Amino acid sequence: MSQLLKAIKTILGIAVSKPMTFSFPPDMPLTELHRGRQLYKPDLCKGCKICSMVCPNNAILMVEREKSEENKTGLQPQIDFRKCCFCGLCVDNCPTGALSFTNFPILLTMKPETLNYTPEMLAIPPTLEHPEAPKIKNTVSWARSRSIWIINYMTGCCFIEAVPWVASSFDMERFGLIAVGSPRHADAMIVGGYVTPKTLKRIIRIYSLMPQPKWVISLGNCPMTGGTYWDSYNTIKDISKYIPVDIWIAGCPPRPEPIGVAVVHAIQAIQGGYIGKEEKTNTDAGKMKLPTYSILEADSGQAQMDFVFGSQHSASGNFNMSLTLDGETVVDATPNPGYLHRGFEKLMEYRTWLQNIMLVPRICVLDGASYELAYSGVSEKLAGIEVPLRGQYLRVIQAELSRIQSHQMNLGFGGAATGFDTNERIIWGDRDQVLLLLEELTGARIYHIFNTIGGVRRDIQPDFPTKTNQLISYLRKRLQIYDDLFFHNKTFIDRTQGLGVLTQETAIANDVTGPNLRATDVDFDIRTATPYEAYKDIGVKVVTASKGDAYHRFLCRRQEIEESLNIIERALDQLPSGPVCTTKTPEDKKITWRLKIPQGEAFHCIEAGRGELCFHAISTGENTPYRVKVRGPTFGTILVMFPKLLHGVKIADVPVVYWSLDQCPADHDR
Amino acid sequence: MSDEESELQSFLATLKSQFTVNNFKIQGNLLSLTTDSTTYVELATYLKEHDFARCLTVSATDWLDTNEFEIYYLVHHLKNNVYVKVAVSIPRNKPEITSLSTIWKSAAMHEREMWELFGITFVGNMMLKPLFLEDWTNLPPLRKDFNWRDYVAQEYYKTEEE
Ligand code: SF4
Ligand code: SF4
Ligand code: SF4
Repeated sequence: MSQLLKAIKTILGIAVSKPMTFSFPPDMPLTELHRGRQLYKPDLCKGCKICSMVCPNNAILMVEREKSEENKTGLQPQIDFRKCCFCGLCVDNCPTGALSFTNFPILLTMKPETLNYTPEMLAIPPTLEHPEAPKIKNTVSWARSRSIWIINYMTGCCFIEAVPWVASSFDMERFGLIAVGSPRHADAMIVGGYVTPKTLKRIIRIYSLMPQPKWVISLGNCPMTGGTYWDSYNTIKDISKYIPVDIWIAGCPPRPEPIGVAVVHAIQAIQGGYIGKEEKTNTDAGKMKLPTYSILEADSGQAQMDFVFGSQHSASGNFNMSLTLDGETVVDATPNPGYLHRGFEKLMEYRTWLQNIMLVPRICVLDGASYELAYSGVSEKLAGIEVPLRGQYLRVIQAELSRIQSHQMNLGFGGAATGFDTNERIIWGDRDQVLLLLEELTGARIYHIFNTIGGVRRDIQPDFPTKTNQLISYLRKRLQIYDDLFFHNKTFIDRTQGLGVLTQETAIANDVTGPNLRATDVDFDIRTATPYEAYKDIGVKVVTASKGDAYHRFLCRRQEIEESLNIIERALDQLPSGPVCTTKTPEDKKITWRLKIPQGEAFHCIEAGRGELCFHAISTGENTPYRVKVRGPTFGTILVMFPKLLHGVKIADVPVVYWSLDQCPADHDR
Repeated sequence: MSDEESELQSFLATLKSQFTVNNFKIQGNLLSLTTDSTTYVELATYLKEHDFARCLTVSATDWLDTNEFEIYYLVHHLKNNVYVKVAVSIPRNKPEITSLSTIWKSAAMHEREMWELFGITFVGNMMLKPLFLEDWTNLPPLRKDFNWRDYVAQEYYKTEEE
């Protein structure tokens, strides 16, 4: 009886609550503080060229204009939005305020050249234009346009902003969009960000398997021009040289709204009879030879078979695993990473200490804030810079918000892996609320670039504490719902308890870190063991669990969300006043984007969402690092421990074990 | 001085009496030191026996000026929360060193990465196969003399222009 009452109460609760789904087309402006397309004021520019020098992506070209009293060099900036990642270095460093940000996020086109904005275009404030709806040609094209199935392949980090469209927050099913696992059923492919040669081969293969008509949407700058990785030795620079692309969306990553606008454009074009570009693949350019695939002969006498898990698999991330199966049981597993290897450690040697802050969060898109924090920490250690207390508190708030959304992401994947798609949608919808708050704090949803050497880039808005407290009490209520969805749910318990059990000893010997280690009852968290930033004052209660199985790993993360909420609450309560950033080094030099850091080396470890993240940096006294080593938290867990954990596991449980370890292929591939 | 630092001070004194170690430095709870390539492995065994159960990384730095690779490992003592970093230099023209994979299992994967990105051979490591890169034929990419801008221009921008 009480069960029934509870169910009725839940349904009534849902009926009267505000819907979680955002309206579409989006209400503009979205968030006041979002770093969107720049605005240029010609009267103020003095042609000093600083903006073009400081840009880490070579997005700014100086073009000629009339010389004048104010502008003696006769130069002004032209911004190429195929390359700009909205890091804000140009705006921060412009001495006259001629460049500023608007909060306009929508930049998409069918012709990428049009994204190169001349100074005249930059001077006009942006507006949103929807295409005129064409007359519906016939029933077939109408039906086609409302049932676009998208192949599920998480190629690069832009994919993170396609995720809200799966969740309840943006809900792509209202447009008739569905994600599918098989290329044979797919109508459209989303190239979600940077493409390494290894990934490219799989993309070409998937593309050629899709039936006609087929469409390709390219997300982000990386597939267009190489974007942030314009000089990486392991990413391609222009995807359209290999497969035709219909719509390009610029941004790094683009917000979810432009993706929605692109879909609406596509629907209208398809209704007007557009059937995509002519099918074409190019496998000759460069070293993009396709690998040969052998197809196994069906042999009934065969006891064991080889099985490829990933990289295109709805539960694998962009990561591949060769499994040997005996019946349904895994007897051997070999990891094959590298689909996301961009050579970060090389790239960082050629950018200045400050420019690197804009690069590092891109190592792991799921928890970028931790990478900013660890990298600024190591540079400050080397340079001997003290961060003002208020700055340290704001860093803690940012890091904990990021930990919450990362754990929510993981619980969502846990739901999907155990067959509870609804759980995934609900929890990712909540995650969007956290991202919006992060945007209020930092100016961006995913890559915040909030830290800088010496502190954080800006102070909070007056209404930030109120908004945060609202979110905290909302999430506390939602945690009870997560308990019902996961931890009191009989099916979930049966699927995850006793699965993928890690003992304390093996976890330690195999370099397992973070919540995975703490789920084996090891009471170790760097936030309390070696406190950094303001964690010592704020205090952290370390969360542990005892059984070391998949269930307890998920549970550990759920408890950590709760503890992070407490930390944020305390941090806001105690938030000291004062500056958020220092501008001088101990030698009394100004901190600029070309800051030289004295010779030496330093280690800095922090507790990221996934575990211990260490940076080791060596300086030879230049304005660029000589060497940076990133020790990501998932390297040992996924590449060393995970394959061993799979022995004896049923094939259907492989994704469950995988997500219970909270993987991030981008982190161990770097 | 914190507990961890005094812990490391006394640990360093014991190490000095048993091994040839140089350039020792204690920063917070991290002890870094350099040694030679035979002591490198002996010291690893000693550390493992003394509860440094977690090998966090094996990594390398390419010093073109002195024509050497500096290899180091970083290990952690969970109970005392102290880190030890042991570094050793080997000549660039004969980049070989004994593997630590028999001492810490997790070192094998880190060594495989260093083999791929720096071209350093770890004798005794059975896993030295490509990890991240497919069909790579050039110099190992993290070496300082790998002309990466030329490579990128040639392999990507030029071939994609055609
Ligand atoms: S925001 Fe960053 S990437 Fe964009 S133009 Fe400015 S400096 Fe360059
Ligand atoms: S926009 Fe600003 S930084 Fe760029 S040239 Fe003009 S004044 Fe200098
Ligand atoms: S670096 Fe930016 S543009 Fe490139 S894949 Fe990542 S988010 Fe997308």
